[in-house]
Amino acid sequence: MVAAFGVYPLLYSVLAALGGGVAEAFLPRPETMTAVFYFGLFAMSFDFISGYTGYLSFGHAAFYGTGGYFVVLVANGKVPLLPADTPFMVSMLLAGVLAALLAVVIGSVSFRLSGVYFAMITLGFAQVMYVFMRDWDFLSSNPRDGVAVSNSLHPEGFEIGVPGVDTLNLAIGALRGDEVDWLFLDLGATEVSYYMVGLVVLVCYFAMQRMVHSPFGRVLVAIRENEERARAVGYNTFRYKLGAFAASAFFAGIAGALFAGVRRSVSPDNSLYFLVSGDALLASIIGGFGTLAGPLYGWLFDRSVVEFLSKTGAGGGLLPLLREYLPASVVEAPLVGGMTLGEGIEVFLNGHAPLYLGVVFVAFVLFVPGGLLGWVRNRLGGTVAKQLPAYLGKFRR
Amino acid sequence: MTGALGTVVEVFVSGMAKASLYAMMALGLTLIFGLLGVLNFAHGSLTMVGAYVAGLVMVTFATGSGLAAVGWFLVAALVAAVLVGGVGAVMEVGLIRKLYDRPPIYQILLTFGVTLVIDELARIVVLFYGLQPRADWRGALGTKPGFVDSNTALLGASVPNLELFELAFGVLTVVAVWAFLTQTRYGLVVRAGSEDDEMAAALGVDVRRVFTVVFALGAGLAGLAGALLMWDPAWGASVPLASETLLPAFVVVIVGGLGTFRGTVIAAGLVGMVDAVTTYFFNEGIITFSGISELTIFLILVGVLVVRPQGIAGLAEVGGH
Repeated sequence: MVAAFGVYPLLYSVLAALGGGVAEAFLPRPETMTAVFYFGLFAMSFDFISGYTGYLSFGHAAFYGTGGYFVVLVANGKVPLLPADTPFMVSMLLAGVLAALLAVVIGSVSFRLSGVYFAMITLGFAQVMYVFMRDWDFLSSNPRDGVAVSNSLHPEGFEIGVPGVDTLNLAIGALRGDEVDWLFLDLGATEVSYYMVGLVVLVCYFAMQRMVHSPFGRVLVAIRENEERARAVGYNTFRYKLGAFAASAFFAGIAGALFAGVRRSVSPDNSLYFLVSGDALLASIIGGFGTLAGPLYGWLFDRSVVEFLSKTGAGGGLLPLLREYLPASVVEAPLVGGMTLGEGIEVFLNGHAPLYLGVVFVAFVLFVPGGLLGWVRNRLGGTVAKQLPAYLGKFRR
Repeated sequence: MTGALGTVVEVFVSGMAKASLYAMMALGLTLIFGLLGVLNFAHGSLTMVGAYVAGLVMVTFATGSGLAAVGWFLVAALVAAVLVGGVGAVMEVGLIRKLYDRPPIYQILLTFGVTLVIDELARIVVLFYGLQPRADWRGALGTKPGFVDSNTALLGASVPNLELFELAFGVLTVVAVWAFLTQTRYGLVVRAGSEDDEMAAALGVDVRRVFTVVFALGAGLAGLAGALLMWDPAWGASVPLASETLLPAFVVVIVGGLGTFRGTVIAAGLVGMVDAVTTYFFNEGIITFSGISELTIFLILVGVLVVRPQGIAGLAEVGGH
């Protein structure tokens, strides 16, 4: 899968160059894929706590927002002790640490509760933060619209790599990212962002994956399956839950930092609002709850549906394709109430993706409770990485 | 300038009016949770639909001013309640019924998905008729008769009539639901079902039907709340109304104790009063932080969950699991 993600931007540019707009319609753009990476990391961190311990962290956006706000405020020189030119890698790691500390505070209060009550108290904390950051005028002149990185302090994009070594850093971002010419490859700013963000997400995924498969992770699953028994066996479940919450918040903070780093701005509604946690939940359910990698695929699926069914920005999706290829007779065919088919298509395929997402989501909850990855693993009888070689081995003689 | 007593009366009445609104938003939610054990995330969306339906009735049919407009409002509220209640019944029969034997998280997830669908459908319809989905529907606000917009002198204070109207409407609804639950035979069945639905079924009650009726009733209350909010300039009919009402409704329901009618009403009173007092502090410039009301409301949620997880009127064992 890593290899598939690795060649994706090249594949996309080759297919797009073939012309006809078909590839643009069906494949998500590399810009979108970058967003899939950082939000996928957030969804994975959500799954790390909610899918493995069974505690629904409905206020997870608090940690994502912490990460996002922290790097932007550091870059604007608004955080004491940290100069505005702190390397992005350093502020990103500190953002994760800050989110983890916040999780310890929230968790030590919240883990006295369980079930719906846990979901609600974490939601309460996140909403307190949301309202606070929305109306705190220290952050920017109009905190409701969020905070942007000052262009005078940071004319260049944020860099991912080894801090202090210029040759080992590449800047990310749509307009200010680096471009790379290497051998026959010619990577634009979009592709560089894609690879650098993807690299960080990959490292974070491996870290979480190791934790999930360690003895620590087994205890988390034990807590999900039967907490009283885990406690009876002698585990201090409170500490395990708190540790898992802090680790999950750390990666959520990193994800938020990447999000703010790529976009160079952060607003309360796209980072701290409870619907952001809702999106992570959506990704986890579609991808597979308690599978760790699943939420990334869930969010990829989600974004692909959005791009396909609703025109976003410059292009992509079904609407431009239909505009180009549908014959005029079909477009002018009357639908209900004097509306032609063409108008109907314009109404329903322009920016109304949540409608279809909702339907897809409900269908997944009802019919595919294990999610995409859960379903695949169920069919194969194990993880893809284990079963695929075994399956291929049968053909080898 | 009003005197000290007048100020107290003004803040008190505004607090009680807000409390009625919060009670209206939360009653249906608590009723549904009490019997079905489903935390209905679509409740806010149903409220939003109710606001638009009531607004539509008012804008298209309502004529006359003064009491005639209030009469039309009652008709609109009834239409909204019945229509949204119908949507609720369909939701229960078509979707939620399939999930009773799954862990409760799946019902939260399902209703969350339904929220996305309802909100987006509402956005499509609203846009189609050339309205701005994010802004309040001015046309519906404009159907409010003049005397509701004016003030009444009361104990040296000048109280907005809209607040008195909301207060009366809220109190009537709470009393009606209370009378239904305690004074009618069907209410007895509902309470028995909340206590122990298997036992009620064993005694010959068709619990499945009761579930549907209660879900429709809870949804209808959401529609009614929407109708009332449609006239309040602080809320108004808009698509974001869905999440704006969902969160306070959650707070009220949790603070009161999930599924308890009495607790919900008390919690609505508490949250409404706190909202009014903090708003007063902000308006007087004593506190300069503009989000103070919302912030305090969520702090109440966190505080109550820490100190008394089962809520004001909830049973002790509920909080643990």
